Parts: sequence; C-alpha cells; structure tokens
Amino acid sequence: MIALKFTVNQQDIEITVPDSMRLLDILREELNLTGTKEGCGIGECGACTVIMDGAAVNSCLILAEQCQGSRVETVENLEKDKILSQLQEAFLENGAVQCGFCTPGMLMSAKALLAQNPHPSLEEIKTALEGNLCRCTGYVPIIESVQKAAEKLGKDAK
Amino acid sequence: MNSIIGQKVKRIDGYEKVTGKAVYGDDLKFPGMLHAAVRYADIPAGKITRLETDAAANIPGVKAIALHSDIPGSDKVGPIRQDYLPIVKDEVFFTGDVLAVVAAETKEIAYQATEAIQVTYEEFEPVCNLEEAVKPESRLVHPEYKSNIMVHYPLIKGDIRKGFSESDKVIERTYRTGYQEHTYIEPESVTAVPDPSTNGFKIYGSIQNPYTTRKVVAIFMGLKLNQVNVIQSTLGGSFGGKDDIVSNMACRAAILVYKTEKPVKLTYTRENSMRESYKRHPYIMKYKAGFTKTGKLKAMQINILAECGAYSSQTFFVTWRSVVQATGPYQIENVQTDIKGVYTNKPYTAAFRGFGSPQIIFAQESLMDEIAQICGISPIEIRKINGYKQGSITASGQVLDQHKVSLQQVMQKAAHKANFTPKYKQFQAKNKKTSRYKLGIGLACSFRGCSLGAEGTDASSAIVSVQADGSVILLSGVTENGQGLRTTLSQIAAEILGIDLNQITFLQPQTSTINDGGPTVASRGTIVGGNATIKAANEIKKRIFSVIKDELKVHKLEQTVWQNGNIFNKQDKKLSINFNQAAEKAYFAGINLSAYGWFKAPEVSWEEETGQGIAYFTYVYGCQIVEVKLDTFTGKISVEKITAAHDVGKVINRLGAEGQVYGGTTQGMGYGVMEDFDVQRGIVKSDNVDQYLIPTIKDIKEIQPVLVENPDKYGPFGAKSIGEPTLELTAAATNNAYCMASGQRSYRIPLTLEQVKLGKNLKKPVRQSEASHSGKKLHPRLSNIKTITPVNLAEALRLIHKQKFQPLAGGTDVIVQARKSNKTIKLMHISKIEELEKIEFSETGCKIGAAVTFSQILENKKLQKHFPLLIKACSLIGSTQIRNRATIGGNIVNAAPCADSVPPLIAYGAKLKLQSAQNTREMLLADFIKGSYNTQLLPDELLTHIIVPKLPHPGYFYSYFQLGRRQAVNITRMSVSVLVHLNESGIVDDCRVVDGSLFKKPQRIKAVEEVLLKQKLSKDIIAAVEQPLSQKIEDEIGGRWSAEYKKPVFIDICQDALNDIWQQARKK
Ligand code: FES
Ligand code: FES
Repeated sequence: MIALKFTVNQQDIEITVPDSMRLLDILREELNLTGTKEGCGIGECGACTVIMDGAAVNSCLILAEQCQGSRVETVENLEKDKILSQLQEAFLENGAVQCGFCTPGMLMSAKALLAQNPHPSLEEIKTALEGNLCRCTGYVPIIESVQKAAEKLGKDAK
Repeated sequence: MNSIIGQKVKRIDGYEKVTGKAVYGDDLKFPGMLHAAVRYADIPAGKITRLETDAAANIPGVKAIALHSDIPGSDKVGPIRQDYLPIVKDEVFFTGDVLAVVAAETKEIAYQATEAIQVTYEEFEPVCNLEEAVKPESRLVHPEYKSNIMVHYPLIKGDIRKGFSESDKVIERTYRTGYQEHTYIEPESVTAVPDPSTNGFKIYGSIQNPYTTRKVVAIFMGLKLNQVNVIQSTLGGSFGGKDDIVSNMACRAAILVYKTEKPVKLTYTRENSMRESYKRHPYIMKYKAGFTKTGKLKAMQINILAECGAYSSQTFFVTWRSVVQATGPYQIENVQTDIKGVYTNKPYTAAFRGFGSPQIIFAQESLMDEIAQICGISPIEIRKINGYKQGSITASGQVLDQHKVSLQQVMQKAAHKANFTPKYKQFQAKNKKTSRYKLGIGLACSFRGCSLGAEGTDASSAIVSVQADGSVILLSGVTENGQGLRTTLSQIAAEILGIDLNQITFLQPQTSTINDGGPTVASRGTIVGGNATIKAANEIKKRIFSVIKDELKVHKLEQTVWQNGNIFNKQDKKLSINFNQAAEKAYFAGINLSAYGWFKAPEVSWEEETGQGIAYFTYVYGCQIVEVKLDTFTGKISVEKITAAHDVGKVINRLGAEGQVYGGTTQGMGYGVMEDFDVQRGIVKSDNVDQYLIPTIKDIKEIQPVLVENPDKYGPFGAKSIGEPTLELTAAATNNAYCMASGQRSYRIPLTLEQVKLGKNLKKPVRQSEASHSGKKLHPRLSNIKTITPVNLAEALRLIHKQKFQPLAGGTDVIVQARKSNKTIKLMHISKIEELEKIEFSETGCKIGAAVTFSQILENKKLQKHFPLLIKACSLIGSTQIRNRATIGGNIVNAAPCADSVPPLIAYGAKLKLQSAQNTREMLLADFIKGSYNTQLLPDELLTHIIVPKLPHPGYFYSYFQLGRRQAVNITRMSVSVLVHLNESGIVDDCRVVDGSLFKKPQRIKAVEEVLLKQKLSKDIIAAVEQPLSQKIEDEIGGRWSAEYKKPVFIDICQDALNDIWQQARKK
C-alpha cells in the first residue's frame, strides 16, 4: 500500500492505495472522477488523458507511486462557476463531440497544448492530439474546435 | 420562417459530454455491487472434457460462479438461428466463447478466479479457411445444422448465358476483404440490478438495442419481457457493434445477479472486446462480367462467400443486403448472384456500419474501373453509361420510380467538387516524372436501400408529452448511439410544434416505458424515428388546437401557423397565442397531452427463390472521390483528400450530417488501408489497439462533405439516411485511387504495406504450440506490483543490488509489459532522481540522464542544434502523452527492436554509463544491445547516463526515415539513420548508416559505409550500395518470414536516404 499525497483539480488528496493502482483507477474509483475514461489500458488511445504537472499524460500508464507530490488536472476541472471553458464551448459549437467517449481526453490534450503554445499551427495541433483516438468524428471538427478556441483565447487575452 | 430543419445545431447532449458528467456504462455504481469477469475458451474448437472450479470458488471474495448448468431459461440465443450460447455447454466454437462467469467483491478477485478455473479439452482441428469450410469434406463447425453453409441467398434476373454470349468481352475477378473491428473507444459494459418490483432485472450499460437485449435476457433467464427493464447508458460509440455481444454480456450479468441477489457489473477490457466482440464479415467475391466494346454491361454473375465465424448472428440480414446491392447502382439485364454465409471457428461477424455493403462496393467499383480501362473510357463515363437513372430496374427487379434517382447528380457534383477529370490527367502526367511517390485519384458510387427493407419488421415509436407549462418530453423507440439522434428527433418535434429546441427534453428511454421501436440500425433512426415523432407531435397539435381554435377564430388546424413559440391565425397574425399558454389551457381543459406516434414503413416484398421484389421502400445514392499518395518504395498509402457527395433526402442537422461524413469516411479509409484484424489458427492476434490500427488524427488530411438534397416522400421533411453510406464507399474509392497511382489493379483490402508491395498480406506464421496461449494472463491488467521510490542514486543502486528491484522511469514500456506478466514485479521509481534528470554539455559532447524524457530532449535547444538526427527520430516516438513520460534510458534498456532513439544514438557513437553499488563501467551502445529485448545490463546495474560524443567536424548531413503502418503513433516497422560528412572536395570522409528494426539488432552497416567512404556522392555510387546491402540482408535475415518485404524496402529507403543527403550537399 502507498500513502499518497498529491493534488487533483487544486484539491489536496491524501489517500492510501494498493501499489498496483493506476492514476486512472484512483481518479475513477477512489475519487469518483469518472470523466476520465479507459479505452485500452496501454497508452494507445488517449481516452484516459489528464494533465500532470502541466503535461498531458496517459493516466493508465501511471502508477500510484509516480503520482506522489504531483498536480493533476482532469476534465472535471474545466468548467468554472458553471461557465464552460472556451475549449468546451468550441467543441460543442463545431461538432467535435459525437459519442463523447474520447472527448475528456481530447480536451485535456488540447488544453495542455494551448497552455504551452497559445497559437499552434495545424501540424502542432495534430501532434498534440495524435495520441487521442476518436472513432466517431473523423477528427476534422476537433481540429477546427482547437483552432477556434485558440483564436478566441487570443482575442480574450488582448 | 425560421425553420430549425437543416441548420447547424449543437447536439443537445453535448454539455454532459464536454464536462465529463455523462454517465457511460462503466461509470455506474450501485450499493453492494459485485464485479464480474469471464473465463474464455483457450482453444478455438474442441470438447470440454473437464471444467474445474473449486480452486476459483475458494478464493476469498468470490461470490458466485455461473456455469451452463445454472442457466434458468433457454441456453441458446440469437436473432434468427439460436446457435449462440452466452455460457457454453461442453464444446467451444471460437476463442471468445465463455465457459464460466464469476462475480466477486472486486474486479481483481473476479479476474483471478477466472484464471484459476481449470479446463481440459479434446481439441478439434479448427475450421479456419472460408474456401475449405464450404467443401463437403470439411469438418462441421456445428454438426447439428448439417452444413457449414448457414444461409444461401440466390438472385436471378434475365438469362446470364444469353447475356455473356451477347458480350464482346467477359472478365472474371476475385476480390477479398478482411475482418473489420468496430473499435468504438468505449469497451462494452453492462450492469444488472435486481428489481424486486418485477421479480426480474434492470439492465444498464453500453447497449445499442435495448429491446433486443431485453428479449435475449428474458429468454435466457426464463422471464417475461415486462420483468426485464433495459436502460441504455450514454454509449461510447457503437457503429452496429454493441448489439448481440452486449445482450450476451447482459445474460451473464443477470445470471450472477440471480445467484447473488446483488447488482453485478461486467466491464470488458479492450483485450476482452477484441477477442469476443463480433466484426465485419470477411468476403471472398467472384465477379464475372460481360460487356460490349463501348462499356455497356450485358451480364453479371456473382458468387460470394461471407465468413460468419462461429455463430450466425446477423449474417442472415447482412448477406441479404449484399445480395440486393451486389451489382452496384448499375442496370444490367442479366444477373445471377449467389451469396453464402459460412461458419468457421473464428470470431463471429454481424452488424457493422455499412452492413454487407462496403465489401461488395469494393468489388463492384473496382470491377467498373477495370472495365472502363479495358474499354478505354473514363471511370465517369462507364458509370454514366450503366448507372441507374429515373425508372431503372434493379437486379431484384424493382423499378426505381418512387423517389428521385440521383446517382448521376451525386456523381457529377462529386466530380465537380473534387476536380476529378483534370486531376486525373494531371496526376497521370506527374507520375510519369516521379519515381518514388505516385499520385492517384479514384471514385466509387453506390445505391443503398434505406432502413431494414424486406429483411425485417420495420416500425417505430415515439412519445411526445407536453407538460402544463409548455415544456416537452420526447421519447423514442430508437436510440442515441452517439450519432446525434436525440438532437435530430428533438429538432423534428420542435419544428412541428413551432417551439424552441431548448423547450424539449429527450428522455433516454427505458424499454418498459415505450414500445419496441425496432433496432437502431440500417441508418433508420432518422427516417422511422423521425416519422414516428412527427406523428406524435401532429397528434398533440390537433389536441391543443381543440382548445384554442375559438380564440384564434379558426375552424381547421391548417388555418394556423406554429412558429417561434406561438400559434397564429394564418390569415390574421394578430390573432395568436403563446404555445405555453395554449398548453396550460389544454391541461386545465383535461386534454391528454401525451401522444404516441407509431410509424410503419411502406410495404416491401421479397421472393426467396429468385431474389426478386421491392427490397426497400426508398434508396440513397452516393459518390466518393479519394486522392492518395503512394510511396512505391514501401507500399505506404496516404489518403490526401476525400470528397463525399451523398443524397440525404433532406438535411435535418447540418452539423450532425457533416459529422457523419467525417466519421464514416475515416472509418472507411481505415478499412481500406490499415485495419487488418489478424486471426491465426483461430487465435486473435490483434488484441489491442497497438496491434489493430485505426486512423489517428494525422491520417486525416482533407474531407469535403457535399450534401445533396432530394426530399423523399417517405422521409420526415424528406430526410433519408446518412450514417452508413458515408462509410461504404471510401475503401473502394481509395483502392481505385491506389490502382491509378500504381498502374496495377488490386483485388484485396486492406492495402497494408505488404499487400501493396508484394500483392499479399504477409503475416508472421504461428506455430501450433504458440497458438494455445498458456502462461499469459487471461485478462491483462496490473495486479502484482510493488513499488518503491529511492531518495537518491546511491539508495537506488543499493536497492537493485539487494532486492532486485527493476527500474521504473516513465513506465510507458514497463507498465504495458507488467499487465501481461504473472509474476510479482518489484519496481523502483527513479524518474525523480536528480542525477538522472539532467542534460549536460561539455567540450566533448553531451551527457543525457537516463530518466530524461523525450519531450525534454525535443525541447532542448542545444540538442536540436548538435544532434538533429536524434531529435528527428525522437519526435516520431509514440504520441505526445508517451513522449511526456517515456525516457531515453527506458527506451534503450527495454531494447525493443523498434526503439527509435537507438539507431541515431548508435550513429552518433553513443556510450552508456552503467552503475552498480560496487562498480561503474562504460560501454558503447552498439555493444550493449545484444538482440531484441536483450542487453548486457547486469542484474544489479542501472543505466545512469547516455554519453553522446560530439561529431569530429561541423557540417554533417543527416537523413532519417521511419516507416510505420500509419501516419502517427507507430510501432516502427523499419528505419534508416544516416550521417555523412564530406570534405572540401566533396569526398565522403565519414559515413554512418544504421538500420532500425531490420537486423537482429540495430547496427552500423559497414557494407554500405565502405562503398561510400572516400567517394564522391553520385547516382552511380548510391546505386553501387545495392549489391553489398542486399547480400548483407540476405546473410542476416534471409530466412525470416518478413525478409520478403523488408529486404527490397530497406534497400530502397536506404538508397533514398543517401540520395537525400546527396541532394542536400548539392544545394549547399
Ligand atoms: S486507456 Fe490510457 S491510453 Fe487508452
Ligand atoms: S466522439 Fe466518439 S470516440 Fe470521439
């Protein structure tokens, strides 16, 4: 068992979990944050993407021990005071969501990108999202959404 | 008029999906819930001679084990032929068969218990080959049905003998397609909950067709339909795939509830899903076509074998659609088609978006292009000559005069938008001048019957219920599967009632609240669900009208207009009433404001013996044009552009319709190019999405939807369907584009690297001993890990010395491998050890800590400047998420043949620093790696640093090429890394060429380097590399199964990399 201290969505978490537990399981089962999804368990689909210490990571490939002292952010953290983030709005407006199962992971990958690179090129967007599989949307609307969100965020910043 | 029909409407269930609040199957929790797992068959065919569950039952926390003998109702289920056993009796038919199900306190205990169940078999030789299976001497998969041919549909029109004799030319071709796996991103999940009020169950989960699931569970559990209430969770994709399998899972969960009286959840891992779930049918299609010199089709004879795998499932329906549409949208007087569905001991096949059409479209559209070529006319011309027009007669004798036959229109629109004819010529001209990359453009057309057609009862239901305040609840018997149906149907209700979309709540129905709307398949959701919704909404209008007509001074409903939340007198707009007030009025007048709409599709007919009749009440038409770029060296195809023109009748939600086009064409492209589901001797080899590849975001370039509208008299507002047509054409058009690029016809999809390069789908052969996969975990998962974090390097070294801890850095390899291992794994987390996290530069070069991640490497400006070859290779490793975690040390120590950082590091002459508690040593990376997954690392040693020496001079040229099966997130198939330096006179004074994934281990290829050293780069000198390289490859890997592909390809890419360097040097 591991006595774990870290933060999730700005909240301090102290929890004791088995060594075999993945960050994904801690979020879904222990903290009831079921927005983060499991699609493959081997780092290939990106459905489990969260942001850890500023970087997009696959939470299915992170053991409890590796979370010690980290800052984790999940999809549940995007909406603030009942206001959707620009990214979420853009996903809705542009049809980037169909079944929605890939959506939380996509949003987190996109958020990590925009935080580091507010004006990404098309190629940079694709690179940031290459690890997130979507079987429904053909990706086109997702790319559009990230571009539009970046534009809006750019304007808002001015 | 602000009609909402045809607008871009945000999906109404979007909010919960972007906030993570939507509840999918596995997100459900119930008090006291148990977790279930299944025990799969170990072999594809055999009798069970012993099944021992005692050891499993004794594991603490195991609550129940259900076997065949526990089934309270009927043990066999299936939509037409009941040949499927959710829990098998004494025989297994494929490796996805379930022998037992376990319920336990935790998932982990349930998994352990399934693995503790001991089974012995009397093995049968599995029936694995479709063409063998139909021969009379083949072993029968299910002896009780007396034949492996489970269904045969004939179709006869005219006289083919006469047709062939009137033809100028007759050709015969055979086409083959493989399995396609749905690969919805959400694996299946079902939860059964005891329902004391009915003495039955509530079933929740990722269920595509709640009514089917209800029926199957009732039969299996021996209950009445009203004792099973099925409630669909938000569905994480389905595409036809979450039908039978989920019903069968529901049976297993239900039987465990029956035994434990507790809620039971059964969630599948991706591996479970790939192994058990049904797929798209592989087809073998023999087409014989007779035609005149001018390209007019005279006769067509078609013989198709459809592989249904171990069970019949939906094969009856799937193959029926194929028989109706097999000739494509072409009028032919004389046709004979025979299609047979055939059992094998492989994964079974059933519904998948397209449903028996992508296969035949691939064949028939390839055939049309070939005929055009033979006749010397264009692909467009051949389809103009033969394509359906108003009043044409189909192969089944149906006269197409009840709807607009828009084939020529969609083809013309697509060709225009895609610039087909000019591009065709342009590409032909360009291809003459290029050697490696060729361009291609291809087209495919189809017609598709809407809804179920004569294959089944076609009716659906809806309830529109207006509340006293004017808000509306809408329920439908067809379901939201992610495609956006909730939004579409709500739009339809809003339009009829003239109210805002926000005023409508779409309730995810429970099977016990609304009658069976039939399955949400065959792209019928909009057409039948929409019509039922219209009926219900119109009924409501009539009722509300009865209480407001006096106020509006009208007598007939037709005299009113319902718009923008108000009801007006058509003649005198001043007379109006607000919809909400009208609702309130009706409520107080005691009017029933809940109306039921039932839509039964128009009559269709079918004659079984001859295959003649009105197969579908209406059809849609589509044409797609695909542009590809072909790498003739490697056989890799990249799809550059897809133009998709579809007659949808009428667009209801533009955002939704375009979304269907993007998604459907992407799946179709995957089907044509990369989706290669590998089953060897009945064992599923593609067991996760690292093996079964679907398109990533980088595989998609440009998709252009062209929505054509010809409102249909039977459709709601004229709408027909869009979901499936979008998928069915893309593979066919891609293949035609590829054939144009390569100048050769091709008869098999997917167009994998080997298929393109060698004309066959090369696969690693499986030995029988390997086939029965003992020793591996049945359910890959992390279960036996111990972790520790040392405070510093010294402690880390002590730990491995004493306790044999294995280092864990990013974990991207270690964790994936640990999932499969049965042993306890002791991991020491080293990625926070300071000494291992630095990148340091000195006069002599650079020292990279073993725990430095690839993202850190990529961001490092100095590395970018001095070691660009390394940067290039590292940028192509995995995905962003992987590069954020994976470390350079991990990549090296794991020593996978596909490790991408290794070849460039060898080229730079990198050394490794290896430390143990007692000792420190340095070693060349090239020596460190002994072979695949095999290194010189001692058990108590840790790789601490990678030392990359500076190159002896500035001004090296580099070239890198990585080959993968798709455009991103690849397991590298092969790579080549080259560093070259030229002296002032342009003579090669240093040259380093390293392979990746070719030889037993990556190495400098002296045979090549020696040819180049002390020479000037030139065409001839690069050509001179071929012979020694070829010899070297032959010597090293000549006998291997993959050599046939790898040898010629490596020679080509290696020479091309040298060429690249030569060009760079010339530009300087
Ligand atoms: S579940 Fe983590 S990447 Fe697929
Ligand atoms: S929306 Fe379904 S997987 Fe992306």
